Amino acid sequence: MNEQQQKFESYLDEQIAACKQRSKLLAEDERMDEGKFEKIRANVYEIFKTILSVAERVCGKDDLAKRDFFLQKAEQIPTSWAASYEKARQNGDIEKMHIESIKLDTIQEIKDMCMQIWEETT
Amino acid sequence: MTEAEAISLFKCLADKSRLQILKSLAGEDMYVERLAERLGLTAPTISFHLKKLSDAGAVTAYKNQYYMMYSLNKEMFQTSILEILQQESDEAQKQAQRDADYRQRVIDAFFEYGKLKSIPTQLKKERIVLEVIAEAFDFDRMYSEREVNIIIADFYDDFCTIRRDMVSERLLGRNGIEYWRMKND
Repeated sequence: MNEQQQKFESYLDEQIAACKQRSKLLAEDERMDEGKFEKIRANVYEIFKTILSVAERVCGKDDLAKRDFFLQKAEQIPTSWAASYEKARQNGDIEKMHIESIKLDTIQEIKDMCMQIWEETT
Repeated sequence: MTEAEAISLFKCLADKSRLQILKSLAGEDMYVERLAERLGLTAPTISFHLKKLSDAGAVTAYKNQYYMMYSLNKEMFQTSILEILQQESDEAQKQAQRDADYRQRVIDAFFEYGKLKSIPTQLKKERIVLEVIAEAFDFDRMYSEREVNIIIADFYDDFCTIRRDMVSERLLGRNGIEYWRMKND
């Protein structure tokens, strides 16, 4: 595993742990729904941690190919989330809109961090 | 307040953020951004909680110039817990509630934003779906086949199958030329 990937994986692990910790604290503070939102964020990080390991299997040692594979999936996967958000917006479904926007915000943050790490170290 | 409404309200109240929102609204009516600032939460999170509180009947909303203002439904909170506990709850009511819950689950599974996703294979479930569609027809009115098709097409593209099934389920009557909504007990 190269430096960028290691750094990126550490970032994802830290975010997963932080979300789970916040979720636990929120649940203890009787804020169950906000705790659930943190679990949703953690799930998104976990999905993209899996994508990162798939990128390594598929692209081998080609670092740029790995980054491009990852970013391609990070564009593809949220299209259904964006469609679901739009459908919820059209129907005034505030709960669904909030959940989908959490997922979309999280993936945007992951993409930004991916670009930042690859730029810093190349 | 029915038992189901009471449960929905208590579930809704069992959340610290929502309780803080209600406490704020007990003082004065507020809009989303003001509540967000006051409670240190994001505006979308406040909107999420307000939707749940509104569904449980705990808050009401009204428009004031550019803002949607939220206020506490004081009437609901004047109901005492003893009054709720004294509500009768017989088996018939429970059975009716179970039936209503099952019906709602079927509706939630097969309809999305008012559109039928697919025709259920189980007859019992299809009957529920057809009953929902039948509600779009008025009693004591005759419909041409074209009108029937247009109404059904708002729910599902295959209006022929739905129309035929509604007739065979005796939800719609037919005399060869026209259709009408049948009254079922």
